[in-house]
Amino acid sequence: MKKAFGIIILFQFFFISLLAQNSLPPVDKSPMDMGYYPANYPVQKINDKITEPLAARVIYSRPQKAGRTIFGGLVKYGEIWRMGANEATEIEFYKNVRFGGKKINKGRYTLYAIVNETSWTIIVNKETDTWGSFKYDSKKDVARSQVLVQKTDFVTESLAMAFEKSTAGFNLIITWDNIRASIPFTF
Amino acid sequence: MKSTAFLLLCSFFLFSCSEKKKSSNDTNKGSKADTTIVSKPEKPVNGYAPVDVSPMDMSYFPVNYPILKMSDSITTPPLARVVYSRPHLQGRNLFQEVLKYGEPWRLGANEATELDLYKEATIQGKKIKAGRYILYCIPQQDQWTIVLNSNIDSWGLHPDVSKDVARFTVPVSQTDNSFEFFTMIFQSTTTGADLLMAWGYVETKLPISF
Repeated sequence: MKKAFGIIILFQFFFISLLAQNSLPPVDKSPMDMGYYPANYPVQKINDKITEPLAARVIYSRPQKAGRTIFGGLVKYGEIWRMGANEATEIEFYKNVRFGGKKINKGRYTLYAIVNETSWTIIVNKETDTWGSFKYDSKKDVARSQVLVQKTDFVTESLAMAFEKSTAGFNLIITWDNIRASIPFTF
Repeated sequence: MKSTAFLLLCSFFLFSCSEKKKSSNDTNKGSKADTTIVSKPEKPVNGYAPVDVSPMDMSYFPVNYPILKMSDSITTPPLARVVYSRPHLQGRNLFQEVLKYGEPWRLGANEATELDLYKEATIQGKKIKAGRYILYCIPQQDQWTIVLNSNIDSWGLHPDVSKDVARFTVPVSQTDNSFEFFTMIFQSTTTGADLLMAWGYVETKLPISF
């Protein structure tokens, strides 16, 4: 009786796993997303309502909090963090910008952070098309700058990024768990 | 023996029940998921960027290039990548409820599907310069027309045909199993890669030579 039940369970798992094989790459647990500056540029573009020239785009994957303590827990203080999941987080500038007192030429870059309790060091690096921060090489840094972070009174479940207008350019806002960082880029 | 048969019956019943429940739930979620701007409210609140119903994904050629690069298994630059969003069927029939034969489809969802060629490529004898393109298709029953277009950084709806760069017609084939999520990957070939596109019971390949 027990054996028969076991066989049935086994058979079911086999059947379910067959079903699961249908799609080639499964959908990622941390889905990818994209943000533009100006915000919603692609929608503005097809509606002929562009508010200002395209300046930046970020492509990142969105891990979830899933009940964990993120900063100081999953993301350890003082260690390099890939600010995303899977493929390295990519930031592209469509025109030259300034960040941390340095000029960054237009082009594609990767984005990392070293997280501490009250501030993050944001890193723009030129090694693109790579995975996470596992091979992060500080020799390929283009610019670094420290930003103060704020505690939010809400919890962000999935890591989120969005651009917003600033007086001299734009900020990349990053929220996850109960932390909000604002990274200033200027023209 | 009798009890075994009973258990077997029970287990099938249970399984079919849960499947049925799932599909009817999914159908209610949104019937135009891949043709409208969709967003799913997230709990707890996320005021900056709710998670998309059709998640974005990225495929490289060489396949898994970022992982190869990370593990020092490759030193040459990548050749191509696609960035696309992955609508899912949610119980709908692809060619009755989602796509129409003869009407342009954005090969994805949300932002226009993007093809980055890091090197000049040849498709059906036509040279395609290195650079960034968006992709859309015009599906027919037996063949799809795949279009490379230069209107990059745009939203997938209403493609601007005046910016078409090249059109390629490729045959489609029926698959045995249904792909729930729209899928784009590169598959290595002797001369380069096939860009495989699959959804529902249909798949097609755009051969690219480098």
